Amino acid sequence: MNIQHVQLRNITKRFPGVLANDRVNFDVRAGEIHALLGENGAGKTTLMKILYGLYQADEGEILINDAPVRIKSPSDAMRQGIGMVHQHFQLVPPFTVTENIALGLRSAREPMLDLDAVGKRLRELASRYGLHVDPHALVWQLAVGQQQRVEILKALYRDAALLILDEPTAVLTPQEVKELFVTLRRLTETGHALIFISHKLHEVMQISDRVTVLRDGRVVGTVATKHTNTKELARMMVGRDVVTSWDKPPVKTDDQILRIEKLSALDDKGLPAVKNLSLDVRAGEIVGIAGVSGNGQRELAETLVGLRRAESGVVSVAGRDLTNHDPADIIAAGVAFIPEERMTMGVIRDFTVQENLILETHAQPPLARKALFDFDKIAAHASQLVREYDVRTPTLDTPVKSLSGGNIQKLILARELSRAPRLLIAAQPTRGVDIGATEYIHKRLIEQRAQGTAILLISEDLDEVLALADRIAVMYEGEIVGVVPPNTPVDQLGLMMAGAKRVSS
Amino acid sequence: MIDPFLLSMLITILASGIRFATSYIFAAIGETFGQISGVLNLGVEGIMLVAAYAAYFVVLQTNEPGLGLLAAILVGIVMGLATAFLSVTLKAEQGISGIGVYLFGLGLSDLLFRVTVKSVQTVKGFPNIHIPALSDLPILGPIFFQHNLLVYAAFALVPLAWFVLNKTTFGLQVRAVGQNPEAADTLGISVARVRYTTLTLGGALSGIAGASLSIALLNIFQQNLTSGQGFIAVALVYFGAWQPFRVMLGCLLFSMVNALQLTMQVNRIPIPADIALMMPYILTIVALIFAARQLVIQPAALTKPFERGE
Amino acid sequence: MKRLTCVILLIAALALVACAAPTPTAVPAKAFKVAVIMPSAINDLAFSQSMYDGLVAVQKEMGKDKFEFAYTENMFNVPDAAAAIRDYATKGYDLVIAHGSQYGASLADIAPDFPKTAFAWGTAVDTFASKGVKNINAYTVQADQGGYVLGVIAAKLSKSGKFGLIGPIPAGDGKLHIDGFEAGVKATNPKAIVSKTFTQSFSDAALMSQAAQTMVSGGADVLTGTSQAVVGAIAVAKEKNVLWFGNQSSQVSLAPKNVVATQVYDWSPFIKQMVNNTKAGKLGGEVMVGTLKNKVLVIQYNPDYKLPDDVKALADKTVQGLIDGTIQTGVK
Repeated sequence: MNIQHVQLRNITKRFPGVLANDRVNFDVRAGEIHALLGENGAGKTTLMKILYGLYQADEGEILINDAPVRIKSPSDAMRQGIGMVHQHFQLVPPFTVTENIALGLRSAREPMLDLDAVGKRLRELASRYGLHVDPHALVWQLAVGQQQRVEILKALYRDAALLILDEPTAVLTPQEVKELFVTLRRLTETGHALIFISHKLHEVMQISDRVTVLRDGRVVGTVATKHTNTKELARMMVGRDVVTSWDKPPVKTDDQILRIEKLSALDDKGLPAVKNLSLDVRAGEIVGIAGVSGNGQRELAETLVGLRRAESGVVSVAGRDLTNHDPADIIAAGVAFIPEERMTMGVIRDFTVQENLILETHAQPPLARKALFDFDKIAAHASQLVREYDVRTPTLDTPVKSLSGGNIQKLILARELSRAPRLLIAAQPTRGVDIGATEYIHKRLIEQRAQGTAILLISEDLDEVLALADRIAVMYEGEIVGVVPPNTPVDQLGLMMAGAKRVSS
Repeated sequence: MIDPFLLSMLITILASGIRFATSYIFAAIGETFGQISGVLNLGVEGIMLVAAYAAYFVVLQTNEPGLGLLAAILVGIVMGLATAFLSVTLKAEQGISGIGVYLFGLGLSDLLFRVTVKSVQTVKGFPNIHIPALSDLPILGPIFFQHNLLVYAAFALVPLAWFVLNKTTFGLQVRAVGQNPEAADTLGISVARVRYTTLTLGGALSGIAGASLSIALLNIFQQNLTSGQGFIAVALVYFGAWQPFRVMLGCLLFSMVNALQLTMQVNRIPIPADIALMMPYILTIVALIFAARQLVIQPAALTKPFERGE
Repeated sequence: MKRLTCVILLIAALALVACAAPTPTAVPAKAFKVAVIMPSAINDLAFSQSMYDGLVAVQKEMGKDKFEFAYTENMFNVPDAAAAIRDYATKGYDLVIAHGSQYGASLADIAPDFPKTAFAWGTAVDTFASKGVKNINAYTVQADQGGYVLGVIAAKLSKSGKFGLIGPIPAGDGKLHIDGFEAGVKATNPKAIVSKTFTQSFSDAALMSQAAQTMVSGGADVLTGTSQAVVGAIAVAKEKNVLWFGNQSSQVSLAPKNVVATQVYDWSPFIKQMVNNTKAGKLGGEVMVGTLKNKVLVIQYNPDYKLPDDVKALADKTVQGLIDGTIQTGVK
């Protein structure tokens, strides 16, 4: 191990109009896990991209074992013993595991590939660190957790002594998170230094030795994990106390709004994605759908709102059969939809805030008279929504693509909830949204629930489902494997999400 | 015994099919490298035209087909580099800049031809090679062993391309850059360098494709000599699902069907000429549909310029 | 990036325009001004070149001060051609010739707007007089006549008795030439085997080459063909050393040893006729049909090819027969 201590000193990085890192100091030592905590846009990823040579700092310096180094490219970083496990895996899906490892390395038999030699050393490394994966498997066929192992192995193969892990748990099931943490502990025991980037407080509490919190590009503070708690860390991140649990009066009625009966649908490749699925949501109730991404949640949501054909089964809203009706019909029936793909399905990027707010209602009075818009009414309607839902935008005519993720999500929320829906389908409503905006969106959902809207909440964030849902339906490979109350132990939910356990409802 | 008339027809079709697949193979294999690395080069036709002219002109002056070929390769390299500059460095819209290169090549080759040569003349291009014993074989001789150097080179190129793409570190980098340039970038591979290399290589091969028309297959130059071959080559790369051997099969199929319909017309087999002429294209479309139905691993970053994230 | 793309396209377009731009010849005033729009290049050794050669011949005869001409070539795109026709008419040319049967409809639209300008198109026989248009002439050739003569010669020279005939599309003067050639061959050698192929393209030289090779490997030792793409076939004739009979323009330069004779279209008599008509105030309505008799069709022999005397005599006799009507090609 040639890395004992890595220091980043007074790092400043400017992007046009943004100060991404402002005199940031950060250090990590061999054998420790140092968590880097912050909201989206706080500057965590920028800082790490500077350390990994993908960006150059405008000011400041990097020291390894007290000696200044210049890191101008990922190759430089790798030469210094720095490896990075990216949030979005940097793997080539049609390649085998071995090919992914060998990519960019000099071969012993240059210019020819020597995959056998790579495979051999890969197996040694895998057994040393308990990262088992088939070297000949194609990456796209691997589960997400296994793909992450390949990412880690790729860095270790390049003799990384410092590993940067960017939001490594974001895509994992609770079980996979556990396995990852075992691996990370083993790596610190063998003298590696680890930087763990996250915005999930309890994970940071669980795995790290020290925590540095970034906000708006500045370091708020660095604390030893054993001397802090989630509440303090949340306050450091957001700058105020954050509500994470909600009081919910019990559901009042048995008034069934959404009824799904034996629904089946195919995915984009024509394979079954939703299989014979039945579920109902009552007025004033939040039903959460938990599950690892890619288990048919997206297809389910799209089928419910008329964007995907139901192969069989029935979808009815307030007693009216809406199976395979077109979206306009479904919208008219009082269904609101917050789509998973915010930028492509939720808004039209190049349209203005105002235009995006009237996408569904623009042709109806009072916004339109016959074929003509009433621009005064539209502006009044839009500015009211912007105020009411706290959408932070310079003007109503700003294109939405220049807003932050949280503000775009609030805009979608405003548009959808302003129609006073009977049913709201919210898919990943807070993914990629910062804590402040998440808190706001949760508050709105709870309010909507109190007004009697039936809410189907689809989320990969188990904490979110646990905090909001009255009932939790766990989805695995297109089926509901069980509907359980929100006080169900996380371990049991995790097993259900991994398909290992079924609960008859 | 097979009917001698049918046999001679068959020999003609196969021999002519092999011979005229040459230009398609060079152009399509060159394009394969570009596309696998993530760049759709629609300018192949333009490069072929200028290179075809250059080769023709040099042979007209020197009577040396070798020098002509060299000139074509040089032209191909220069135009390949220009294509790379447009699509990699300047990140121009690939479809449109490709059409630009095509129009430029079409205009430039015609202009130069008018200024320097004026009127169509034939040149002495690469001769057919007589291989002792093999060339004199009945049936097999005329089909396989009475062609010129470039025909053999085209078919030799195919396994070579396969080997480079699948068995070398460079090939792995090319494929990675076309599938996930961000991943390649994080591993210290220069996406730009790889794409420059493949486009320059593709340019050189397009250049040879042009030369194969003007100084090996037709031995003439005229305005728009290639008449669409470069574009068909681009389609054949899709048809061949970015695999050199399948691309070659596509080229052969295309030129065989062409030979078949011509032979049928020449031998007065009564099919309407229009139907006969549509055959290669119909077949190509059918084959493309068929190819699209299987799970083909298309370069995921095809036509997408690479920029470091966020 | 969009701006860059525009610049590229602009450069490419300029390169094209540089080739296609009209090239007027500077002359003193009062000359008779003719403009021609052609589908391919003036050096195509075929249809466009025949018109260019005709214009040059007339200019030589009348003198550069009396006869001035401009041309726009490579007008394969008909809307572009229509724009060029209108442009020339606006600039005050006395006679505007649209040299291609694809231009007829455009011409019929444009001509009535310029009642003082004479127009002509070919190959065609319709002056649009039925539509009330008064200033359009039409010209065509009975290319079957020359084709017939060449066919007679070819039948005498062929050893294998197999003949390959290549055309772009089965229509127009190209088809007449090919049908006439076939009739001439059959009249001389009833057992002859004649293959005809139409490639459906005026410009695809590779396809013409492939067709010619297919014919030669099928045993043909005489080839003929039409359109600017035949250069591909002529190169094959040269390489395989078989005989070639040309059409439209002289193609001797391409294969001096293989070209026996060519049916050349000499448009100069028609150009002169239209010049005189126009000066006399008759701007249209003339249908001119080129034949061997009026010497618009000329059989041009390759001086380097030693044609046996008896064959030459037979050819001359056939020409005479076609002129005086004792021989009919039988081609419709």
